[in-house]
Amino acid sequence: MSNYASPEEYNLADLLCCAASREVQDNEIVFAGTGLPMVAIMLAQKTHAPNLKLIFEAGTLDGRPPELPTSVGDARCETGASRSSGLFDAFSIAQRGYVDLGFLGGAEVDLYGNVNTTCIGDYLEPELRLTGSGGNPDINSFASRTVFIMVHEKRRFVENVSYITSPGWRVKKWPGGEFVHRRELYGSAFRGGPSAVISTAGVFRFDEQDGHMYLDTCHPGKTPAEIKELCQFNLDVSRVAGETAPPTREELHFIHDVLDPDQIFIPKVKKA
Amino acid sequence: MSTDKRITLQQAAEIVKNGSSLTFSGFTIWRRPFAVIFELIRQQKRGLHLIEVNGGPQTEFLVGAGCVDIWESCWVGHELYGKYGANLSRKVGKKEILVEDYSHAEMLFRFTAAAQGAPYAVTQTSLGTDIHNPDYDILGRAGKRDGKRIAKHKYVFAEDPFFGAGSQVLIPAAKVDVAILCVQQVGEEGTVRVNGQLYSDPEVARAADITIVMAEEIVPEEYLRRNADQNTIATFEVDHILECPFGAHPTGMFGKYDVDGPFLKDFYANTRTQEGFDAFAKEWIFGLDHIAYLEKLGWQRMLNLRANTALNYRPRK
Repeated sequence: MSNYASPEEYNLADLLCCAASREVQDNEIVFAGTGLPMVAIMLAQKTHAPNLKLIFEAGTLDGRPPELPTSVGDARCETGASRSSGLFDAFSIAQRGYVDLGFLGGAEVDLYGNVNTTCIGDYLEPELRLTGSGGNPDINSFASRTVFIMVHEKRRFVENVSYITSPGWRVKKWPGGEFVHRRELYGSAFRGGPSAVISTAGVFRFDEQDGHMYLDTCHPGKTPAEIKELCQFNLDVSRVAGETAPPTREELHFIHDVLDPDQIFIPKVKKA
Repeated sequence: MSTDKRITLQQAAEIVKNGSSLTFSGFTIWRRPFAVIFELIRQQKRGLHLIEVNGGPQTEFLVGAGCVDIWESCWVGHELYGKYGANLSRKVGKKEILVEDYSHAEMLFRFTAAAQGAPYAVTQTSLGTDIHNPDYDILGRAGKRDGKRIAKHKYVFAEDPFFGAGSQVLIPAAKVDVAILCVQQVGEEGTVRVNGQLYSDPEVARAADITIVMAEEIVPEEYLRRNADQNTIATFEVDHILECPFGAHPTGMFGKYDVDGPFLKDFYANTRTQEGFDAFAKEWIFGLDHIAYLEKLGWQRMLNLRANTALNYRPRK
């Protein structure tokens, strides 16, 4: 793999996109969200996972859009699909257990991979109301694996999220709200949970037994100590496997010349 | 043989009363019935209860204009043209609106239950999240749960009695007074043909007590009945129809026109404050009708949005 791009040839968005793309395995059924994940999944389709099946939440099954959609309800999602349908089919298929992998985002994440996209501050007296859940908890409940892509700031990697929008490995058991392993709550519907968080600092994974996040790889130029300092919770840095692999020149070609030439989601490196 | 279902934009908005519960066709920034939304704002509706599978610009316009008291849904924003719903956020902060949060699949299944005439749906989504936090039952806290149109409970947990599959969540049917759809074609008697993704249109049309369909064009029933397998909604599920070209603008319509991204960006950037919203509404809603709105947008802008009919979207190159 000597075809890795050198640092001046790519930017952080390229690195995240390629790291996300490498989470996809061939033949998997992947639930696509809007934005960078859409590019990442289509990149996987062009490279190592040509037989992946793409589902768009708004109702496209096994889509192969020839031009990058700007959202999952975009008219471009329908072109070339196996079936164009609606949300009833997309969510029924997900609940039925067809979905291997979903890509999601969030404003805050905790040690267990619980994610918040609803509000900042007390839910009943919020400092800021955000978008709300969307399909985030649904995909995270139904898929075997989910990957979160997040901006890494200390205020976002928190001890307790303001609101658990999307379930991680240890979640609240109601009515009391005590934390239990998600396996206990989901019963026969338990299929897995968050498998990675790809932040702007590194790639994080989860110990599925105790449900704790640990640092897997540091993005080029970052150290485990720096990244630990960027988390409010006590991040496990004892299992670091090394550095996040940079994009290859082939991947950069697909991102910028084929998938997103108009830089809708992934900006190009500015030439010096 | 058929009673005439045709109404005008003004009549469509008049069907929605102050305090009505209301839902729409479409998905985030696609196929929202904007011509009627603008007319609802011109008629200064108050106390609306929006129940939406997902929100979008239509939520933001109605909320910003002060038409909405209750919003039950899961998401609001403008996709890549505005990352959250700034009007809703402002009104939540000022406690001028009640927001009941469900997940996206829960909202969809709630409409599916209503469309089947079932009192509730059962699912295993979102277990362990704050969506099921008993302290966060906003309509319950506000004393709105009368067990009539608004369910007695936000949700109820139950164990699977049949297969022992564990904890299930029961969620109430989404009972709505009026659904307003925006589609490509409707027949003179109400047969609807949606092209492209259906989103949750079949479910919301069937769930509502009154269904209004605004179409780019009204076509002869006979034309739609030649290929009944391509139709989406049957005549008797539709109460009123109207023709309104570009009725979804600034949202997009498969096969007809793309989303007007700059318009939504402009709206998002300029309506963070109530003063900003009021100025935007003064410029783009009040004092205009649909034709005047299109004239103000101009030919150049509309032609640049027009979809290629072979591709069903406007190619970027």
